[in-house]
Amino acid sequence: MAEGKEAEQVSTSDSDQADFIEPETPVEIKNSMLVTTDSYEHIDYQDLESPVYDSHPSGIIHAIVRSGSVEESTDTNDEELHTQCEESNEDASSNELSSKEISDVTEEVSKPEVPELNSAEFDEDDVQTPEWRNQKKHVFILSEAGKPVYSRHGTEDKLVTIMGVMQALVSFVHDNGKDALRCIIAGEHRFVFLVKDPLILVGVSRGQDSTQQVLLQLSYVYNQVLSVLTYSTLHRIFKQRRNYDLRRLLSGAEKFLDNLLNMFDSEPSFLLGAVECLPLDSVIRDMIAQSIVQHAKVKDLVFALILANNKLVTLVRMKKYYLHPMDLHLIINLVNASESFKAAESWTPICLPKFDSSGFLQAHISYLDESCQTCLLLLSVDRESFFTLSDCKNRIKDRLLKYNGLKAISDSLTRTSYSIQQCGISDLRHFLYKSRSTAQYTSPELEAPYLSQEEQERLFGLYHYLHHRIHTTARPLKILYSVGPHETLLGWITQGFELYAVFGPLVTKPAAIHAINRLLRWIKKEEDRLFILNSVTF
Amino acid sequence: MGKERISNGTDTMPPNGYIRRQASRQVSAELFDISCKVMLIGDSGVGKTCILVRFKDGAFLSGSFISTVGIDFRNKVVDVDGTKVKLQIWDTAGQERFRSVTHAYYRDAHALLLLYDVTNKASFDNIRAWLGEINEYAQEDVVIMLLGNKSDMGGERVIRIEDGERLAKEYGVAFMETSAKLGTNVDLAFMAVARDLKMKKTRKPTDPKFNVADYVNQEKKTGGCCSS
Repeated sequence: MAEGKEAEQVSTSDSDQADFIEPETPVEIKNSMLVTTDSYEHIDYQDLESPVYDSHPSGIIHAIVRSGSVEESTDTNDEELHTQCEESNEDASSNELSSKEISDVTEEVSKPEVPELNSAEFDEDDVQTPEWRNQKKHVFILSEAGKPVYSRHGTEDKLVTIMGVMQALVSFVHDNGKDALRCIIAGEHRFVFLVKDPLILVGVSRGQDSTQQVLLQLSYVYNQVLSVLTYSTLHRIFKQRRNYDLRRLLSGAEKFLDNLLNMFDSEPSFLLGAVECLPLDSVIRDMIAQSIVQHAKVKDLVFALILANNKLVTLVRMKKYYLHPMDLHLIINLVNASESFKAAESWTPICLPKFDSSGFLQAHISYLDESCQTCLLLLSVDRESFFTLSDCKNRIKDRLLKYNGLKAISDSLTRTSYSIQQCGISDLRHFLYKSRSTAQYTSPELEAPYLSQEEQERLFGLYHYLHHRIHTTARPLKILYSVGPHETLLGWITQGFELYAVFGPLVTKPAAIHAINRLLRWIKKEEDRLFILNSVTF
Repeated sequence: MGKERISNGTDTMPPNGYIRRQASRQVSAELFDISCKVMLIGDSGVGKTCILVRFKDGAFLSGSFISTVGIDFRNKVVDVDGTKVKLQIWDTAGQERFRSVTHAYYRDAHALLLLYDVTNKASFDNIRAWLGEINEYAQEDVVIMLLGNKSDMGGERVIRIEDGERLAKEYGVAFMETSAKLGTNVDLAFMAVARDLKMKKTRKPTDPKFNVADYVNQEKKTGGCCSS
């Protein structure tokens, strides 16, 4: 983010620039709990191909299990004997499918029910229907052999042909001079390709999304697949059978992919690579975190977190280990997409690709309140710890009830974030503020004129545009002031934060700058309510 | 012995038991004499969660299909001739990707309720594969009960009751048809499991051995009647 790159596109004159008093980072961080190393700007083509970005960490779960199990080695050994010996030591978890199972299952279990295809139906590809063609955004996953795996719209069976074409395009470009197909622009459509052996992901957008933004979505979709299967399993399956029909193993997981893509269109957190915290008094937040620390001091528990309405209430982690925002988004998506956790305590395997792509963590998931808003997740490497964690959950819940922690959470939820009026800045309509060091963001409620669905989508499009202009790899900007027909946009990136603000159309530049400075002061004042500033460890 | 292991497992439970998150928020602090682990298995969509909810809360989950993610856990204490038996019931996800996860838990299960859907042939055909897995991963003396669910859906039935009976006989497992919607045979399935466990625990060497399959045959209802 060099200063010199602002160039003439930045419509701020030198004198105006002086008005941007770069404040000390409003959010001061004692130590952060989320890893912020590869934020959005690092996800570009160079890095997607670089080994650093493409790394699939593995072995962490195994290391934790090993370090914890020294004194109880007999216990774990006898349980995992049969699986450990046939897997390489990289495979941390014995939860994965063994090769034998895969082939067994392939033979024994009959095919998933494919809707009966009579010839008339078969002729009518989904591709031909106007409904399908008019979708704003498509996402496809196919195997490198060209087999359909997932499509956001329509049924994969009926998209065999178009997926074949995609596979052909990718492999043609690849064969011709070992190049990689990245993007095709046709009319108003943008086709973005992401090849992640053994899968090909394709995003098609008619909207404001830039190539990078679509690519970011595809990376999330890929990580969601890993979260369900693990990187090791995915590779082992395709190593064995290149033409494997992955839909068999993903059945039931489509809802996670669907939900992820829906959230992408309505939640800025993915675009920003940050999470939103539930506004809470810092004393109460500390109390909640301490309840977890005191009552969930369990060996092998790596992360414990409370979510409420997709917002983070608190996160407690094992010393040494961090939760990447991308992994946290997958956790939020898991909770958001499943109704079943509301019915009973649940024990679910989840792979967090940025934490350890080779194995599963076991998640104990339960809601703490009657109305199922406050969700507690305890993530452990120990598959046998269900009852221990269930016990922890009861004690945490009792303590939160006793000290009114749950009430504070539900009060904050009913207040639904905060109104832009609270900031006391008249021209400002809406903003997104990301604290870069904590990978957290804050944003006020959507209010008039952004109440209707269309207006919200339009606002979101503006943020996409602003974000893209600022982060474009060809010419990254530090400040952008842009006057549009309906509103004026101001984006500003510094070492400590990213700010995207939306004003009414008639605001003047000095007024906007003045407003921004006031907003920063307001955020500074409120920071310990809006953000989690210190990270808590077990 | 496997059962020792099971009761050991419960030692980690809080003394006052597990707090149910029901509307009434009753605390199931009920004392119990014996505890056992029951698992519900079978293909996705055969009605495992519905059977369990019918047994536990006496309700039927109508409306949209909510697929279980991973394993859900519920407790219920039942009375078998004056003995309180606590059933720890593990409700598993039927999808293929969860199989390798769930069969890791077969080992310390006392009973497995294996479900198919009488209106879905594939779910019935897969029963052999399921039984193969059980053979490989579960304890030898595990109680297996084959349940043909959705017996109320007469019109759409594709698996006859005789087909189920024949398969159960072949593998020597108890069998009955159930309906989570009407409640037919649902309590019986769980009660038979509880009774079997109790018998195993309390039987004197001279007493006749308890046979779940015979007990079930005696007690089960074959009609679509719901007087349970």
